[in-house]
Order: sequence, then structure tokens, then C-alpha cells
Amino acid sequence: MLGSILRHLAGAAIAIALLAPVGGEARTLDEILSSKKLVVGVNPTLPPLGKYNDKNEIVGFDVDVSQRIAEMLGVELEIVKVGSPDRIPFVASGKIDYVMGAMTRNPQRAKIIDFSVPVHTEVFGVLTTEGKPYKHWKELNDSSVKLVQVRGTTPVKFIEKNLPKAEVLLLDNYPDVIRALAQGRGDAMVDVVDFVGEHMNKYDVKWKVVETPVNVYFCTLGVAKGNDSLRNWLNVALFELHREGFIDETWKKWFGIDMLFSVSASPYF
Amino acid sequence: MSYTLQFGQVTGYLPYLAGGAWISLQIAFLAFCGGMVIGLFGAMAKTFGGRALNHLVGGYVTFFMNTPQLVQIYFIYFALPDAGILLTSYEAVLIGMTLNAGAYLTEIQRAGFESVHRNEMEAAETLGMTLMQRVRYVVLPHIARVLFPPLSNQYILMTLGTSMAAIFGVEELTGRAFNVNAETFRSIEVFSLTAGLYIVVTLAATLLLGLFGRFMFRAKMRLY
Repeated sequence: MLGSILRHLAGAAIAIALLAPVGGEARTLDEILSSKKLVVGVNPTLPPLGKYNDKNEIVGFDVDVSQRIAEMLGVELEIVKVGSPDRIPFVASGKIDYVMGAMTRNPQRAKIIDFSVPVHTEVFGVLTTEGKPYKHWKELNDSSVKLVQVRGTTPVKFIEKNLPKAEVLLLDNYPDVIRALAQGRGDAMVDVVDFVGEHMNKYDVKWKVVETPVNVYFCTLGVAKGNDSLRNWLNVALFELHREGFIDETWKKWFGIDMLFSVSASPYF
Repeated sequence: MSYTLQFGQVTGYLPYLAGGAWISLQIAFLAFCGGMVIGLFGAMAKTFGGRALNHLVGGYVTFFMNTPQLVQIYFIYFALPDAGILLTSYEAVLIGMTLNAGAYLTEIQRAGFESVHRNEMEAAETLGMTLMQRVRYVVLPHIARVLFPPLSNQYILMTLGTSMAAIFGVEELTGRAFNVNAETFRSIEVFSLTAGLYIVVTLAATLLLGLFGRFMFRAKMRLY
């Protein structure tokens, strides 16, 4: 009888152990300082936020910002490669102290992790050339408009639903799309514009980003739920980095263009 | 591996894909016809033309047979606009494929020209036929029969080659398959259906060409 109860209890304990998050607790600010190491998750598949250089090291905007943050803390920086599906489990389980990689804040994610103040933005909007009359993305819903897009990307579905009258030319990749726009094969592209900056700069064309974008995403540092000691310090650090212009300079260095929707330093956060 | 095949999500797109197959066929057919004309004159130039003409056609054939077709179309679509020539996706692909086909068909038809017996040509010349008449009445009837099999092979290859038009924004079969794949994420189903459509299209073309060849030229074609 007793043996049977014990066996059941043991079974339940194993079940609970399996369900609990592996790796344990997120590290507080004190623990990071005493370990002399800051562990940051960066996604190397989102150039120029994160990418591999010719020595197979992860570099990019996210790495430069994190390097500066580690210097402000007075600790070493360790970069951990994360992908889009595993980055939130990584931070929730304490494998990394915070995560970057276009970490857009939204209410669903905020149930699982906490967000710092914004580091940068992403503008999901319309890229066109100077001389085109568009002021609002909805003006593109017209049969005289020809959009140039990358085949198989999510904006194509967005266009089918929201701009069904526009004609669409689907090409293979972003450099081809930007070249096609520069050559006058189409009127505009609807996509996240920040990431094509380096391709835009290759052409002697006056580009224009339509004033009213579809959406602006605020990207932050994602920290473990309730890790306020770290998050509060990161917010103060990010305020300084914005105010001294470090974020904007680093953005320009990696993206080749100014941040389209700048995050200005606000003393209230 | 546990993957459940769900063709139901994809079969609704069958008319859309078939529409793409129709465009593939169109491009292949037009490029083949254009290529045949170029090839005929190319072969005539190589067989009867002078030294300069021979070299000129030789240069064209060498260039187009020894560079990838993808690079040729890329050049026409993305490089020519910098020289002020802006062609649409369809035009660029069609011109690229026609010029490429012209080179291959020049070589195929030249082989046919050379298989015409010398005596026949001399006999025609003795009868006072002009060059065009000799080609029309002596060479063409002869090579139509001999060349029918390699020509139809070339046609099938060109039908499959149209798949690269997707890269230049032509919504033919492969391009449409990519679109459906991005919509449904049912890659195995989408691409097996697409492969099936290509097989149907090429088998139908083989059969038609075979029948045509048998009855028109008494060419010994294999029918499926």
C-alpha cells in the first residue's frame, strides 16, 4: 500500500520535473555583475541586425549595441545564437540574459517575457521613388499601380487582402526588387523598408518612403518575466545610448540609412 | 518522419496551376518557332555563306551555347535597362529563350543541311534553282524527316526550361507553384502536383509531335 503511494508520488514528481522549464531561473543584475559576463541572444539570420562575418563570428547592429551595454556594465559579452522559434524559450529559461533580433513588443509576447524601452523601430511601409504622388499606403489600391515584391513573402498576402487592385510583379530576392524599382519597372514596394537600405544606396535614385506607413514596430530587449533588476538598469542604459546618439550612429553604420522612424530619448519610461 | 499528405488543400489551386502551364507552353512554342527561323538562316549561312558570315554565325552560336541561359536572360532583363532598353518580364524571357534556341537549332539544322547528298544539290543547281529554291524544294523536305526527332527533343527541353521565367516575374507554372507553396506551406503536395503537370504537358507535346512527324514526314518517332 505504502509502496504503491510512493510509486505514484515518484511518478508525479518526475512528471512535474519534466513539465518545469529546463535551465532554471533568469539571472538578476547582481548575478550578472558577479559572474563578470553578460549573455545575449542574437539571431544571425537577420542581417544587418545579426550576421556571420568572414571569420564565422556573429556581428551586426545587435552585437554592437550589446557590446556597448556590456562595457557599461563592466562585464564580458557572450553572444548566443538564437532563432525565431527558440529565442523566447531561451530567455524565459535563463539561458540568456536578454534577447535581440527585431524583438517586436506585443501583448501576446508580454504575457511570457518583459520588454525594455524601444531600441529601434521597423517600418512596414511603402518604398517608392521621388516624384510619385503617394502620401498614404492605401492610395496604392489602384489598377494603375505596379508593386514589385519578393515572391513568397508575407507582404504579398497583405497586398492580396488590402491592395487587391494593384498589379504585382514578383521577383526572386530583395536586391532584384530594388534594382527593378530603380530601373522603373514598378512604382513601389510594400515591405519592411529598413532592411533594404544597403541595396537602395547602390542606385543613383532619389528614394522616398511614403509618409503614412502601414505599421511601425517597436523592437526592444526581451528579458525574463519579472527580472526587474536587469530590466530597470537596461532602460536607464538605453536612455543614455539614445541621448548620446549611439543607437542612431550604429544604425546608420549597419543599415546605410538613418532609422526611418527614430526612437527619441524620453526621460519618462 | 510523420507527414500527413493533404492534397485537398492544394487541388483547389489546380486551375491556377494549369493556367501557368498554359503560359509555359506558350513561351516554349513561340521561342521554338522564333528559334527555328533563326536556326534556318543560321544553318544556311554556315553551309552556303562566305567566310565572314560563317564566323559571325559561329560567334553567335558559340556564345549562346556556352553560357547559361539564366545568365543570358538576366543580362537582357537587368543589364540592358542600364543601356536604355527596358523590356517587360515576358519579352525578356521570350527574347532570351528565342536567341538561345536559335543557337542550338542552327547547329541541329546545319547537321541536316550537311546530310543532304551533294549530288542532289548539284542537280538542283543544274536545273537553275536559286539558293532559296534549293533550300525550299530540296533541303527542307529532306531534313524535315531526318531532323524531326532531335527537333522535338529540343522542344521538350525548352518547355522545361521555361521554369526559369519565374525568377523574372513571369507567372508561369513554376512561379505559380512557388506562390501556392507560400500560401499553403504544403510543399510536397504542391511540387508533386506541379511535376505531374509538367509531365502531362511534355507527354502531350511528345505524342502530338510524334503523330505529326509520322504523318507529315514519315519520320520514325517513338509514340508513348
